[in-house]
Amino acid sequence: MAHKCTQCGREFEDGSNVILKGCPSCGGKKFLFISPQDMHKDVLEEKSIKQIAEETKEQFLEIKEDKKRPETAHTSNQVEMYDRIESITVINPGSYEINLEKLAESDELVIRMGSDDRYMVDIHSMGKISKSKSKSKKKSNKRR
Amino acid sequence: MNFFIRTRKRLSKFLNAFFKKRQSRIGIYGPPNAGKTTLSNRIVRDWTGDALGPVSEIPHETRRARRKEGITISNQNGNTVTIDIVDTPGVTTKIDYQEFIEYGMEKDDAIKRAREATEGVAEAMHWLREDIDGVIYMLDATLDPFTQVNIMLVGIIESRDLPVIIVANKIDLPDASASAIRKAFPQHPVIPVSGLEGNNMEELYEKMLEYFG
Repeated sequence: MAHKCTQCGREFEDGSNVILKGCPSCGGKKFLFISPQDMHKDVLEEKSIKQIAEETKEQFLEIKEDKKRPETAHTSNQVEMYDRIESITVINPGSYEINLEKLAESDELVIRMGSDDRYMVDIHSMGKISKSKSKSKKKSNKRR
Repeated sequence: MNFFIRTRKRLSKFLNAFFKKRQSRIGIYGPPNAGKTTLSNRIVRDWTGDALGPVSEIPHETRRARRKEGITISNQNGNTVTIDIVDTPGVTTKIDYQEFIEYGMEKDDAIKRAREATEGVAEAMHWLREDIDGVIYMLDATLDPFTQVNIMLVGIIESRDLPVIIVANKIDLPDASASAIRKAFPQHPVIPVSGLEGNNMEELYEKMLEYFG
């Protein structure tokens, strides 16, 4: 099932990560699950996306923002979350924000302290050679 | 004489480290309070009679990854698979000690728990990168599966080409909906279970044999 933005009608492939940040064209946060044959019905049959949704009875995918603790969220920085360099932000002692994508990439730790841009760089973590890297090196050596 | 025994032991340990076939390591991942430890305990108890760790209604009870090695799962057809189960800390993007205070914890303990939980998330992500061969992704079937953490983490697991089984847990509760989880992740098998009651575990074991065998 592909996704279609309910605001501007832009289509996205199944499992597309792009829509997690909202629609790149219009910033819309609501997407309709749509099968490939219904994909262009809005243009070809001059139907609104709402009508297509009623016909196909598919569900919507809505990208939600965590509104639970707005006091800890940096609303102005929220958009940049995916470009952030820090893996962990220490907002206060005991309050943390964790950048899963950075942590999934490597063990290298960059920690941001507070909401102003103060950073701590864990050089020790960057000096380690990760196992997967050494494994892939071995593999490539074997191939040669 | 003692010297010989000790040397032999050390030598066999050394050789084992080199020649022992490594079992598939299956990580149990998911958001906090999805029931990862409850499920791990059930799997470990069903096949070895042991347990893995304590459970609690306060989120982030598991703050270090726990591992149980050499669990052999089998079915009536004689298929078997031997795996290591890794119960990981709940993955989330925000940890705030205030949440634990709401559960009646003292401030100092809550702050300590938050720090350990943050370390736990980093550890869970480290395992995912380095040492996991397959994933059981746990979700609480009473909650909305469309959260950033779930979509992001399943995406990360997919990008590593790891086999993944999604478990819709807590189906013993009245407002649980496994179909909502199926709709959220149609690309993966979704097994509804109750880790607490042990409902539908056979189907999960069958799927584990199929996916991790």
